[in-house]
Amino acid sequence: MSQADFQTLHLRGLCKRFGERTVLDNAGFELNSGEVHALLGENGAGKSTLMNLLTGVYVPDQGEIVLDGQPCSIRKPADATAHGIGMVHQHYRLVERFSVAENLILAADRVPELQRLSVAAKTLQTTAEQLGLTLDPYARVADLSVAERQRAEICKVLALGARILILDEPTAVLTDAESASLLAAIQRMANTGKGVILITHKLREVVGHSDRVTILRQGKTVASNLSTGSLTQAQIAHLMMGDVAAPQRQPSNLQPHGADLLVAVGLNASRNDGSTAVSDVAIRLRRGEIVGVAGVGGHGQAQLCEALMGLLPVDSGSLQLDGFSISNSSVSQRRGYGLRYIPADRAANALALELPVSDNLALTQVASGRKGRLWISPKGLSQDAQKAITEHRITGASPQGVTRLLSGGNAQKLVLARELDQDCVVAIAHSPTRGLDVKSCGTVHAALRELTSRGGAVLLISEDLEEIMTLSDRILVMNAGRITGELPGTASANEIGALMIGGH
Amino acid sequence: MAVQFALQRRLDISFLRSSLTFAAGLLLGGVLCVALLVQAGVPADMLFEDLVWQVFFQTDGLAQTLTLSIPLILAGLSAALALRVKFWNIGIEGQLWLGAIAAMAVSINGIGGESYRWVLMLLAAMAGGAVWIAIPLWLKERFHASELVVTLLLTNVAYQLLQHLLFGVWRDPTQSFPISPAITASERLTKLGFGNLHTGLFVSIGMVLLVMWIMERSRFGFQSRVLGANRRVAEASGIAVGTTLVVMVLLSGAMAGLAGGLLVAGTEYRLTQHLGWNMTFSGIVIAFIARFRPFWVLPVAVVLAGVYNAGASLKVFYGLTEATVLLMQGIVLLSLLWCQFMAAFRIDRRKEVTV
Amino acid sequence: MSFVAFWLASIPVSALPLLLACLGLILSERTGVVNLGAEGYMAVGAMTGAVVTLLSGSPWLGAGAGLLAGGGLGLLFALSVAVLKADQILSGLAVMAIGLGLSGFIGRHWVHQPFEGMNAPDLPGLQQLPLLGGLLFKQPLLAWVSILLVILIAWVLHKTRFGLRFTAVGEDPAAADNAGVSVPGMQVLAGILCGALCGLGGAYLSVASAHVWVDNMVAGRGWIALALVVFARWRPGRALIGALLFGAVDMLLPRLQAQGLPVPVYLMGMLPYLLTILVLVLAARSRYRDEPAALGVTYLRQDRH
Repeated sequence: MSQADFQTLHLRGLCKRFGERTVLDNAGFELNSGEVHALLGENGAGKSTLMNLLTGVYVPDQGEIVLDGQPCSIRKPADATAHGIGMVHQHYRLVERFSVAENLILAADRVPELQRLSVAAKTLQTTAEQLGLTLDPYARVADLSVAERQRAEICKVLALGARILILDEPTAVLTDAESASLLAAIQRMANTGKGVILITHKLREVVGHSDRVTILRQGKTVASNLSTGSLTQAQIAHLMMGDVAAPQRQPSNLQPHGADLLVAVGLNASRNDGSTAVSDVAIRLRRGEIVGVAGVGGHGQAQLCEALMGLLPVDSGSLQLDGFSISNSSVSQRRGYGLRYIPADRAANALALELPVSDNLALTQVASGRKGRLWISPKGLSQDAQKAITEHRITGASPQGVTRLLSGGNAQKLVLARELDQDCVVAIAHSPTRGLDVKSCGTVHAALRELTSRGGAVLLISEDLEEIMTLSDRILVMNAGRITGELPGTASANEIGALMIGGH
Repeated sequence: MAVQFALQRRLDISFLRSSLTFAAGLLLGGVLCVALLVQAGVPADMLFEDLVWQVFFQTDGLAQTLTLSIPLILAGLSAALALRVKFWNIGIEGQLWLGAIAAMAVSINGIGGESYRWVLMLLAAMAGGAVWIAIPLWLKERFHASELVVTLLLTNVAYQLLQHLLFGVWRDPTQSFPISPAITASERLTKLGFGNLHTGLFVSIGMVLLVMWIMERSRFGFQSRVLGANRRVAEASGIAVGTTLVVMVLLSGAMAGLAGGLLVAGTEYRLTQHLGWNMTFSGIVIAFIARFRPFWVLPVAVVLAGVYNAGASLKVFYGLTEATVLLMQGIVLLSLLWCQFMAAFRIDRRKEVTV
Repeated sequence: MSFVAFWLASIPVSALPLLLACLGLILSERTGVVNLGAEGYMAVGAMTGAVVTLLSGSPWLGAGAGLLAGGGLGLLFALSVAVLKADQILSGLAVMAIGLGLSGFIGRHWVHQPFEGMNAPDLPGLQQLPLLGGLLFKQPLLAWVSILLVILIAWVLHKTRFGLRFTAVGEDPAAADNAGVSVPGMQVLAGILCGALCGLGGAYLSVASAHVWVDNMVAGRGWIALALVVFARWRPGRALIGALLFGAVDMLLPRLQAQGLPVPVYLMGMLPYLLTILVLVLAARSRYRDEPAALGVTYLRQDRH
């Protein structure tokens, strides 16, 4: 593999479909040697997929990748490495039990010189020095902090001969000081002739630390190769959000809003691996209102839902529902008080796909004992299921039919029919319309509104800004596990966007 | 333009496809077994006679098949209950022995009145099995020790206990083999007048019906269904996952123990070393073929009992050993697993991007 | 004194088959695959070893045949699990049954036929050394081969690049895949080696120790080896220690019996298994530190995104 610096990289007209879904549609951009090129876009815009094409995880359905004037075929990760393309993922691919140097040896298939421990360690150290970073190549990855691991991964990728480096949201999990150090190192990288693709949400980074920017929205390139020197953050934000026409708002029917229903104060919760997911979160939900929580996915939203539901233990904080303290209550107790949950990944968290529709519909009521303390009547369940199917117009469903065969929209209708029952007081809805068609979205929104009109409340957590703006009476913005701000429901997309991606 | 193959997991497996591949698996396994037997010297024309006709359609053969099925049904039930909640009970044999020991203990110590002692024996058998599985369950909950290996090792421990009793305090001095004294006439399960078949058959079938009833019609059964299907959904719905798991596992042990009790009270009338040949693996195979549903355990267990019965005569006539039946079971299980691949995955042909 | 000497000398009889099986299982689990077929591999290894030795007169040929037989069965398992992505536990049980069944089925013609197997080489003087003489120098050569294997496997796993790539598969298959390691390839290799080593362990039983093939020769050693892997913390060196310790306890009983001591035979017979459970429980608590992180995981690149 030639170690000479590359000149240009062109991605042109790249398309990728997964089954029915088109994830990338004619996307592309350019990268020159010595450039830091930012790649911007909301979650689901296609940034990850585009990079997966470049690194050989997927193969494009159409389009081409041209390196230094020569089209190249990248069909597996090894091909990408051979062309000098290296990626530092958000979720690191370092074997924890090994040392940094051993991880380098592991990946050094085509570089025999690096296959000896001492040489590998030395190379890592030299690379780190060039970037102005400190790194102990003999340290075990498991013992390193998040920032140190990232440095290790970057140095490893460079040591393997990467000329084009892709960094996926590198500063998302770093402190301000660590971010500054990293961004400086990135600049030094570019100065040595490498090309850097920086995937980021942070406008400050785009404006301050990149040369050009490309913006993706819904798989398409809405703006490409724009020189960032002449752009402001506001302009970029506008390009990213698009022209979000002020959506038709449906204000709450119950005016004025009533008593506090759900009150969370100082909630702290951690993920399984110990990292903090929810940090000092306070939420207040009142009767008849929908509070929307906007924010980029992966910032603790799922953990917040689980903590509220009782599925994830909280480290500290208090929780009250309708006046009752539920901080230490079990899931069934919280449900007894009227708390309901519409989780994000229905297939994994809300539905037992292999069981019949009637079972999934009756699930929570059987669990609470409402369908019978000891014995239940399958016939009764079946009849109730048929009623629910008709009432909620769940097409393609029969009480004995397997749930897996329902379409996305109808499966979600099932979940709603079950969760938003007459005893529902507060519903936590996490990305309730993800993957649904327009008509189904409307049904979901109507159901949530209906709950509030009979005195309930909804905590709506969604990455779909339009949805948040349509439904919410108040909008909270969540970033890195914290609530960074509160806005009225009438706030504009740019105002929300600024809180979301301005960040720290 | 080169073609490349890539493995893709199917998201949506139709009932037709899974049924067909299942049938294909059974067929493949069956064909291999037949080939095996023919190779071993069983004349091909005798195969149907020996494997099907004699054991299912002749009076004596059928009686023996049904008798053999009594513990097998319970073993299959035991495996199905445990595997449904993802508890790897590889110690069915051990629980069976503890059940037999417990039943024998009631008999030898004359607990309870003569007329109903057999009931106590069977209850004790269930308790014995439940206790024996409670140990690995506790070790798993408390210490995160894998139940896979512990249930197995406890089987060995149970066998040692059995030996200890048979060569020791429970040894019948009038016999040259290490077996216990026979149980009294009133403790024996009544024969049905059809070969060796006894009322234990009703107990086994009764258990299947009971479990079916509980699974279909009780709140507990519903919850365990959900737990087995998707644990996260069960938790989010407010189901007491921990309790459900414990009850299912204990029930599994109890079924295995009961099998031991029935063998003592209905077939052997004593405690011997040879109870429960390969019950664990048979139980798992039955449960797997029955797709872990109690209802299907019944016919599958009877079919497998027929195979065991045929195996006995194959042993006499053609010199094959019990190992043959174990081998056949292994072949069928592996064939089913291989054919499942076709249901679960799809091979995509991907054309290379034009360069 | 001679009691201790006899006892020590008999330890390898029990320990070495376990050691070999344990080594094989370590290799398999290091690539993330739980291999329940151990009992089956040992059985075919024992049977094949005995039969080939009987027919050919050469115990080394027998041992080699046992190794190959185990490896073949291991290949069957590995294909099921690594290529066809079948459930690891069920596949392992199926292969175990096939192994046990095949060994009984094919071996039925040769049961209870003793042969001149592998004996300890003649080393006068050394063998008469007090205490350790018997232990160290009165063992068949296969015992020393086994020790060499421990050293070899430990060296490859911990000191070579190949070993790094091999163990990466069981730690983080996605990382290994990214680094260009063929995950199914390594798992198949591990499966074959596991079968082969277990098969060799079985052959040790028949060819080197008992010099005969009988039904049910393996008697649960495959499962004990599985538990020993946890005790060994997936390292070959500790596997040797574990196997020796287990062998010591296991052989204590017959020795005490031979002395004519009134020991409750069967209660003592429980000891090795109870000990293994105890070890398993103790090791389980720190298991998470040593266990290959991706043990039991079925990896498919397409599942990742």
